[in-house]
Amino acid sequence: MTPAGTGSAATAAVAASATVAAPAKKMIAKLVIDNESGSAWNCQFNPLNTSDNWYTNGYLYEPLYFVNSLQSNPDGSPKTTPWLATAYSWNADQTQVTFTIRQGVKWSDGQAFTADDVVYTFNALKNDAGADVQGLWTGASAKLTTVAKDTTDPNKVVFTFDKPAGIMFYYMADQQPIVPQHIFGATGVDQTKLETLPNSTPVGTGPLVMSVCEGTNMKFLRNTTYWQSTPDNTVPKVEEVDYPAFLSNDSANLVLHDSQAQWGGQFIQNIQSYYLDVSPNHHIWQPATANVTMYLNIAKDPLLAQKAVRQAISFAINRNDASNLGETGQELPSSQTGIVLPTFKGWYDSSIDTTVPGGDAAKAGQVLGAAGFTKGSDGIYADSKGKRLSFTIKSVQGFSDWDAAIQTIIASAKKAGIELKQQDEDNGTLVADLAAGNFQIAYNAAIGGPTPFYELRNDMDSGSFSNYGKYSNPAVDTLIAQYLKSTSITDQKAIVKQMAQIMNDDVPVIPVTEAADWFQYDTTSIDGWPTADNPYCQPAPWNIPDNMVLLTSIWGK
Amino acid sequence: MRFIVRRMGLFLLTLWVALTLNFIIPRLMPGDAALAMWSHIHNATPQQLKALEAMFGTANQNPILAYIAYVGNCLTLNFGVTTDQVPVMTKIMQGLPWTLGLVGVSTVIAFSLGTLVGMYGAWRRGSWSDNLISPLLFIVTTFPVFFLGLVILLIFGVELQWFPQNHPYSNPPGLTLESAADIIYHAVLPGLTLVLTASGGWIYTMRNNMIATLSEDYVRMARAKGLSSWRIMLNYSARNAILPNLTGFAMQVGFILGGSILIEYIYSYQGLGYLFYQGTESRDLPLQQALFLLYTMAVLVCVLVADLLTAWLDPRTRDA
Repeated sequence: MTPAGTGSAATAAVAASATVAAPAKKMIAKLVIDNESGSAWNCQFNPLNTSDNWYTNGYLYEPLYFVNSLQSNPDGSPKTTPWLATAYSWNADQTQVTFTIRQGVKWSDGQAFTADDVVYTFNALKNDAGADVQGLWTGASAKLTTVAKDTTDPNKVVFTFDKPAGIMFYYMADQQPIVPQHIFGATGVDQTKLETLPNSTPVGTGPLVMSVCEGTNMKFLRNTTYWQSTPDNTVPKVEEVDYPAFLSNDSANLVLHDSQAQWGGQFIQNIQSYYLDVSPNHHIWQPATANVTMYLNIAKDPLLAQKAVRQAISFAINRNDASNLGETGQELPSSQTGIVLPTFKGWYDSSIDTTVPGGDAAKAGQVLGAAGFTKGSDGIYADSKGKRLSFTIKSVQGFSDWDAAIQTIIASAKKAGIELKQQDEDNGTLVADLAAGNFQIAYNAAIGGPTPFYELRNDMDSGSFSNYGKYSNPAVDTLIAQYLKSTSITDQKAIVKQMAQIMNDDVPVIPVTEAADWFQYDTTSIDGWPTADNPYCQPAPWNIPDNMVLLTSIWGK
Repeated sequence: MRFIVRRMGLFLLTLWVALTLNFIIPRLMPGDAALAMWSHIHNATPQQLKALEAMFGTANQNPILAYIAYVGNCLTLNFGVTTDQVPVMTKIMQGLPWTLGLVGVSTVIAFSLGTLVGMYGAWRRGSWSDNLISPLLFIVTTFPVFFLGLVILLIFGVELQWFPQNHPYSNPPGLTLESAADIIYHAVLPGLTLVLTASGGWIYTMRNNMIATLSEDYVRMARAKGLSSWRIMLNYSARNAILPNLTGFAMQVGFILGGSILIEYIYSYQGLGYLFYQGTESRDLPLQQALFLLYTMAVLVCVLVADLLTAWLDPRTRDA
């Protein structure tokens, strides 16, 4: 993050689209979102509740700032756009940040949005761990100690942390939606269980207002008093948004295929023939900010505890096959350094990336031979005691693309004398097994963030929950501590480079393919979608709060 | 009277055992509601898991206290809220009409169709219709229901597009003819699947029973009297042959509430079966327990009714 940021126009995010000599932008009568929800809508719109927030935040409730993981400033830090705040500034050691709150914003019930709402929102989370979804008051790296209005300027809010908190900016400014004090703080609302408030008639500041909700569809209308609107420029340029509930992937895909929905966030198996070839107006752009990763149980499996075995697997598996055959090219092959490309190319150093793309059976054999493994008569390597290199990969039932990718992994590992077997479990069971360390190898998406540091840390920090294999390396922990204290993007890049080097050389986990944000869009009557050339936000309908940026950026042709 | 008391005692004992199993089994599944919900969040962070654990809170409570609270809740029908904060009874009442409608009507159709075909097949056994229809429906019955459901969906829903592929309705249901037509239109494919897979069993038993009764003396007597074939078939033979099917049907009614989880899943049909699948996947204990109880009660009550019905119809069974 840059130490200071100021915002001029709220619509800076769409500035890039203005470079084209634009025809008059029309209103879009209706936009249909297509994304498998897996269940009927429960018609509750509580932005503090984890099961509601992915269709509530951004659409109805907004954060202070928008952090774009896909666009960097020249120094490599992610680009930020002022939203409900107009500016922020850190103190020197980044333990305190002051936000200037935007004037003239109204809640959709007509009440004015003020700094009081911001102070209320953050302080409410303090007393309610269930609503503090971002862990702002409990975070291990840094946590809030006070949030209060500036004593001299009632329009500013000061956030104080116990430690340098640059890494918390993304969670507090981008991921945390602001809720209205006059509703959430009203008498009779249990302030220790805010996340259980049904909030079925939501009042937000967002570009949309909820109109009609039933199990099969949510209908939103344009927020006619939206703060970005000016007399000669209506924002958003969408009159109505429909969000039907799809219980299965196939039924959601069919609606996209039939051009009945314009904004999709779906995995489609044969996307070329099923979606792209159907209409010249069907397009996709599927950027990634994290990797789909093989987690290795280093703490419990004596073979995987050996670096040579981990390296051999990483050399053996062919990431190009996993990408092309498994993911039909929709997810790019990963780098063993853990840096997602091209998203974070500013953080990548090809000289330390010695593994990509893998599929190198000879190299794997060399590593294993040097470590004293010999090939048995069955073609599988074993150690001096005869213990074979045979592992089970656990994956998620029903993720057909992952299944296909794992089949290519099994095939390429076999060529290198390593036996892998696949076992699928339902999502909840797999996560429980990951948390309990009940696996040998597990295939799951890593947890990323707006810079590569977030994913590297989640995978390698000895104290991280998502370091499922319990990899522990004091050198990594020191680097992480340094990063958290640092306020300079140059230092941070140097630290990430060292972490990426350890990731490549020590193989704590094996990134296989990048985890794409599925995104399909229809240009028949709508323009201004985010693209690879203009990646103004993460594009899937469930990317919160990026969805609000997309909604306020598209227009009718 | 003693028979009824004994039956009621057995009923209560079975209910208690079922309730206790309902308590234990969901808790043996790995994972909990917080983890299950966390696993479905895009780009989930470890902080979010902590928040979810704080929200659900009761995951690690004392099992004995939890059991006592659970039995109390079962008795008062107070099941609390689901993991997404909706009252359990609200969710159940949303799903109930769809399952009753789809599975209930299908069960009645399958029973009627199966009984009629079985009856007619036995009456005309050896005829081309018996040789064709009875074995055909019986073969279809042996298909796994999910397989038949997918095949029917593929042919009539995806390829021909004659019928909708999912959901119980496309427009919000209302008390209009249009809405009724919409609902029936959506129910055709799942209903057809259920009827095809269920009717074969009824055919089989009805046909066998009917063949047995046809060789009874009173049927020969009726023929000798020169009664019309229809009258012999319906009043003399079928009337006796249908008795075992009737008690079977009474028991089957109990399974209607369970819906057909696979069919409701394939057709995204939002009844109780789909709800149960969701409750299991999201480790939603309150929802799972309430549905379990509902299913158990329905089956037990129907079995009890079938028992009493049989005892009333056939005095010989009362000593059993």
